[in-house]
Amino acid sequence: MNAQLGPIPSGTTAPGAPTPLGRPSAGPDGLVWRRVHPVTPLVKGWKAIAVMAAVIAQQAGDNLARGLDLVRGSGVLVLLGGLLAVVLLVTGLSWLSWRMTRYAIDAQAVHLRQGVIFRQQRQARLDRLQAVDIVQPIVARIFGLAELKLEVAGGADSAIKLAFLKESEANGLRNELLARAAGVVTAERGVDAPVPAPPPERHIVSVPLSRLIGSIVLTPSMLVVVLAAIAVPAGMIIAGDPGAIVLLPATLFSVVGVLWKEFNQGFNFQAAIAPDGIRLRHGLTEARSQTVPPGRIQAVRLRRRLLWRWADWWRVDVNVAGYGQKQGATETVLLPVGTRDEALLALWLVLPDLGVPDARAFLDAALNGSGSGSAAGFTTCPRRSRWLSPLAWRVQGVALTDRAAILRRGRFSRVVEFVPLERTQSVGISQGPVARGFGVATLTLHSTHGAIRPVVDHLAAADVADLANQVVNRSRAARATAAPEQWLSRVRAAGLPVAGPVGAAGGGS
Amino acid sequence: MTSPGGAPGPFDPQGVVWQPVSTRLIRARLVSALPLVLVPAVLLALAAAASGVTGLWFVVAALALLTMWIVWVIPRQVHAYGYAERNDDLLIRRGVMFRSLVVVPYGRMQFVDVKAGPVDRWCDIAAVKLHTASVHTDAHIAGLAPAEAARLRDRLASRGEAQLAGL
Repeated sequence: MNAQLGPIPSGTTAPGAPTPLGRPSAGPDGLVWRRVHPVTPLVKGWKAIAVMAAVIAQQAGDNLARGLDLVRGSGVLVLLGGLLAVVLLVTGLSWLSWRMTRYAIDAQAVHLRQGVIFRQQRQARLDRLQAVDIVQPIVARIFGLAELKLEVAGGADSAIKLAFLKESEANGLRNELLARAAGVVTAERGVDAPVPAPPPERHIVSVPLSRLIGSIVLTPSMLVVVLAAIAVPAGMIIAGDPGAIVLLPATLFSVVGVLWKEFNQGFNFQAAIAPDGIRLRHGLTEARSQTVPPGRIQAVRLRRRLLWRWADWWRVDVNVAGYGQKQGATETVLLPVGTRDEALLALWLVLPDLGVPDARAFLDAALNGSGSGSAAGFTTCPRRSRWLSPLAWRVQGVALTDRAAILRRGRFSRVVEFVPLERTQSVGISQGPVARGFGVATLTLHSTHGAIRPVVDHLAAADVADLANQVVNRSRAARATAAPEQWLSRVRAAGLPVAGPVGAAGGGS
Repeated sequence: MTSPGGAPGPFDPQGVVWQPVSTRLIRARLVSALPLVLVPAVLLALAAAASGVTGLWFVVAALALLTMWIVWVIPRQVHAYGYAERNDDLLIRRGVMFRSLVVVPYGRMQFVDVKAGPVDRWCDIAAVKLHTASVHTDAHIAGLAPAEAARLRDRLASRGEAQLAGL
């Protein structure tokens, strides 16, 4: 297990090797520094420019009469001069900022330098890479540019953002970085070198537009919208007070915003598997292509919302160390909505081996079942805890296999969380005075920061003690056999072909 | 099955010898907590005496009760605090009413903090906090003698290194 601690396998090009071709040459530090695309300031600053233009237009409209007076006088020169100065200043600052932003890549790390007044140098180790995203906001897409975002597990704002690069360049860089992070050696690349061929990928699942819309219609938020849209005008007519209508847009605005976000992000969702990880593509206005290498997913959650029950639709979310929670639903969705089979397929991408003999029966028990169901091995709440959770006490439960801990809860809207045992950070038990009275306790598995917080309440205290003990022991065993950080180096060591179809996806299997 | 009365239960795994924290933590916690209650109580008592509003005396009485509760509960909390170093993990147990136990494998440790505020230094104690990649891991041991805190820090660091895993 300590093999992964050794230095990066040799054979990689020395970091200092200068490239013979191309205009950026190796600096004194032996790194080849490159700049981002020159159009970047325009793409980044278009909002500011638009706002400025709007303000000027409005001012001009308001003061047309006075403006005409000014034009007659010498004021026009002042006005134009001021405008020119502002434009020059903004352009100059953007140019400076662009000029100061440089990045370099060597065998072990990505380096980024930026900042005009407050200079920043950031260096991220490739073997600590958690995910790589290619983000294309709508303006960037018009210019054929993309932002490359490298996530490392360093808390909020720890990502390295290379913005903006040519789309093909971003893709090539992504493939190269992932290959290096995986421990597949590639030679130092000159700027004119051909973009590395993308590794073969296999399409796994996509979300049809009709189902995405259906899933959004069948949410409690949508119900609120519909009810408000009916109730407010109705109340207005009954009360005879048309003033209430002003409340309608305000109340609906936030809800509709949430729904729109969900639609926008889930639009054209595609999941695929490649040797370098799970690929997710989605987004209407902002297109996003995410790659999460194998073994970087810390927890998976399958969730069926209340109104999805009859359609048996499931949403799959994940915890990835780099993404954190702030970005919320944007990046941590493995599948916005899918049938049970699709959701299980998505789960399989992360956890190919659940460590149970009959995976399908087990998963059906996890997704549908209640009670302890001896075959599935769920430890559920004792009967006495029905006073504490009258609806869900039969459902709430934990199952442990050799590979994962599976937590199940929710009577009507089911939530099932899967935590690979080699990814659990620590285990907690807690108990308040009421729970102590009932002889029950809470079991918590600590996963990295994210949407998923695996916890089960109201289990029998003795069961909790036993489960915590087992999680600790089995996690230790699972970690000992876990895949190394450079997930493909082991495959190479075993003499297997690196670009195999799905074989490498297993990570720890 | 655990008895609701509490003795062994899930917070007392078998074969674990708990290390208590220093009783000087009682003093440190009392010094930090009591002024927050006593100062408003005294001010309110003065205000009540000056204004003659009887309602204020009820607030003063409530604060006095709170003070008594604090004086009663803090020693109990400190005595309930404990940690244990096992071969592969560190256990931390605490709480009287709301009890909790956390098990942190050494290999999951990202870094260790040793902290001592002015009150802690006056009472000659320090706190050790273990950080994993999860923000939910609450592995915090307050009230260690500085020498013990340093020993624990080094020990945790060396054990963490020996069992290091990625995320």
